[in-house]
Amino acid sequence: MPFTLEAVEELASLHGEPEWLRARRRASFEVFERLPMPSRSDEEWRRTDLKGFSLEGLEPFEQANGAAPSDPIEDAAGVLRQRGSEPGVVELPEELARKGVLFMPLSQAAREQPELVQQHLFKGVDPERDKLAALHGALFSGGTFLYVPAGVAVEKPFVSQFWSSGGGAAVLPHTLIVAGEGSQFNYIDEFLSPSLDKPALTSGSAEVFAGRGSIVGYVSLQRWGNHAWQFADQKVTAEQEATVRVVNVGLGGRFAKTRVEAVLRGPGATAELKGLFFGSGNQFFDYHTLQSHVVGDTTSDLLFKGALRDTARSVYAGLIRIEKGARHSDAYQANRNLLLSKSANAYSIPMLEIMNNDVRCTHGATIAPVDPEHVFYLQSRGIPSATAERMIVHGFFGQVLDRIPVGQARELVESELEARLG
Amino acid sequence: MATTLPKINVGDDYKEKYGFFDPEKYVFKAKRGLNEDIVREISFMKGEPEWMTKLRLRSLDIFRKKPMPEWGADLSVIDFENIFYFLKSTEDQSKSWDDVPDDIKKTFDRLGVPEAERKFLAGVSAQYESEVVYHSLHKELEKKGVIFLDTDSGLREHPEIFKEYFGTVIPPADNKFSALNTAVWSGGSFIYVPKGVRVDIPLQAYFRINAENMGQFERTLIICDEGSFVHYIEGCTAPIYTTDSLHSAVVEIIVKKGARCRYTTIQNWSTNVFNLVTKRAMAYQDATMEWVDGNLGSQITMKYPSVYLMEPGAKGDVLSIAFAGKGQHQDAGGKMVHVAPHTTSTITSKSISKAGGRTSYRGLIKVHKGAHDVKSFVKCDALLLDDDSISDTYPYIECDENQVNIGHEATVSKVSDEQLFYLMSRGIPQVEAETMIVNGFIEPFTKELPLEYAVELNRLIQLEMEGSVG
Repeated sequence: MPFTLEAVEELASLHGEPEWLRARRRASFEVFERLPMPSRSDEEWRRTDLKGFSLEGLEPFEQANGAAPSDPIEDAAGVLRQRGSEPGVVELPEELARKGVLFMPLSQAAREQPELVQQHLFKGVDPERDKLAALHGALFSGGTFLYVPAGVAVEKPFVSQFWSSGGGAAVLPHTLIVAGEGSQFNYIDEFLSPSLDKPALTSGSAEVFAGRGSIVGYVSLQRWGNHAWQFADQKVTAEQEATVRVVNVGLGGRFAKTRVEAVLRGPGATAELKGLFFGSGNQFFDYHTLQSHVVGDTTSDLLFKGALRDTARSVYAGLIRIEKGARHSDAYQANRNLLLSKSANAYSIPMLEIMNNDVRCTHGATIAPVDPEHVFYLQSRGIPSATAERMIVHGFFGQVLDRIPVGQARELVESELEARLG
Repeated sequence: MATTLPKINVGDDYKEKYGFFDPEKYVFKAKRGLNEDIVREISFMKGEPEWMTKLRLRSLDIFRKKPMPEWGADLSVIDFENIFYFLKSTEDQSKSWDDVPDDIKKTFDRLGVPEAERKFLAGVSAQYESEVVYHSLHKELEKKGVIFLDTDSGLREHPEIFKEYFGTVIPPADNKFSALNTAVWSGGSFIYVPKGVRVDIPLQAYFRINAENMGQFERTLIICDEGSFVHYIEGCTAPIYTTDSLHSAVVEIIVKKGARCRYTTIQNWSTNVFNLVTKRAMAYQDATMEWVDGNLGSQITMKYPSVYLMEPGAKGDVLSIAFAGKGQHQDAGGKMVHVAPHTTSTITSKSISKAGGRTSYRGLIKVHKGAHDVKSFVKCDALLLDDDSISDTYPYIECDENQVNIGHEATVSKVSDEQLFYLMSRGIPQVEAETMIVNGFIEPFTKELPLEYAVELNRLIQLEMEGSVG
């Protein structure tokens, strides 16, 4: 087993981490060693097949390698490029730095801003939730720290690009975003790798702390290669009057499991959780979402749309949880699945736990093929059936695409979808 | 109407109407607890063939090996060793009401069973503790070849039909409680409706637990042969004891080509009963299976009537209401398993929670590979009457086929202020207005019941509502 305490220490040394962070890693490593692999007798993993996945033979981290085929989104407020498991390289305009914006590799932040990082790191995402979460807690490699001070609004997006070209290793970036009171900005995580023969464990997790009155957009563009296994955790915490928009785009990976969780902690907080995923070949997507209304007068709105072709499979399981006393909560949850082939399949489990009566709470789920009437309509207007299907899928995703807060990212996803729909 | 509402508290009424108990009289009572000897004893008492004794023992073994379910309600409080698994209260089953032992007769008289029989039932079965004490069926139906017996007699008198179907829909290893039931089952109904026979008026079974710490494990087997129809109704009550009783039934139904079966339950156990029931039907070509499932009583109910749609044209329907008051958890729902193409199903669930009660909808729509052109729709509405109550929705949709149409919708709400205001502004007192709204909410359910039951249900809801404010 290459995942050893020595590997944890070596990785921490590679990133020049302070002792408290090493201790944090060691605590998670201890949990990782203690827990068994999730199995299908665990409710969360019942429909999620880990067959073919093994930690044996994986390197615990990856040396920097090659250049990414594309540059991150142009015209960004700040860019971080990470290769393999090594600390990223950052570009940030002087002007933003002067305003107090901190944008740097997570390990650098741990050295330079220990208080701020310690206060938030793994306070959202639970690093001990299961064996794989603990592995992430012990061996997260690199990642981004972004802090936008109170009152600062940044128009252009911050972008982090994580590239892995090696295969056969674990690449586990961790994003930590702290939004000061009333700050406004968008942030994009882009995960990229070519499709390789050797399986790899590549997962980007993220924690977003949206301070009072802040407006934060977080986008995850997952375009790992078809050899990648992902077990990612995203957790968003919204304080009073904060608005958080999270968009998940899942395109890559052999197996991509993502937890997307929003906790609404202050009155007036709003979370919008949107997701789209397109699976082909034998890809598998798994999304487990949570909308947790801890206090009243909070709003959450979730829409996850997936289209599957070939033998692709998906599992969506989402929970709206309204705590006792959380009056006037307004929650919505919808999961729509479009099955493009006979062998594709989708499981959908939208759940509610409501402990208060003064709420508005609805959810819905559908699983259906492309409506033949739609295809017929388009064909009768001379559009070939392949094109018709592409148009229908594009239209199907429109509702989510429109919610991607950065124009360039939206275009990127659209063209990527176009290419995949062929 | 506004002034004639009786002022009654919920608990008091249950006590008065169903909560009484008779002094225990029995001809045989097995010892507390569960072991092989008890299982052999039950089988011996019933004079069963050897294959059944063996099946019981094998099931006991499965029961012991299976872990308790970790999802749903908390079942860790059930003490299996503190339960009486078999209690025979009379030597013979009666065909005539007059022959039923007096105290048992009194019980069912108070519950209105013979009266109901006279009025609108084609057949009645009354089970007291472990065995059926009274049984009757209209002569014409008997002549047509309809079999309506308690399950023990079914095994004795029709061993060939029995052996062919028993345990085929719900095998002992299906879950922990079906294993328990198969090990210690006693009583229940055995129904066979021959080809093309329509039983136009309902058959009813009434289940009564009288003794403390009693476990009732009735076993029902219904076979609807091609083109037949039957409507079966069951009702359940028990006295209020301070210690808990367990009701763990298994109901197996086979609905053959073109037949239709409707199974209506009005479950009103007292709030010290754990109600853990497995109900499943197999529907074949063009057959229709309907579960109408009302859960008002019990401390914990876990029950998900299901339909396996085995051949094209089969249709499954679950209509479920649950009402959870103080200390109650109704974990109910339905399962539809589409095995064949061109099958349809609907599940409609209505739940009401009040005074800290918890209702959970738990359901599954499963579409197997090859089951194309399937349509399924699930709708769940929950009404929360106050701040302390809880509502959950856990709908599972598992789809392995693409030519399907599956939808799920759910809403959770309280009694709307606008509706209340509207009614109250017309001089209707609040309690009554709320009752009207609740009755309107469950109307899709009540309108499926025979009139007498609908009236009774409305009255029960009214009483529950009274209690919620007064």
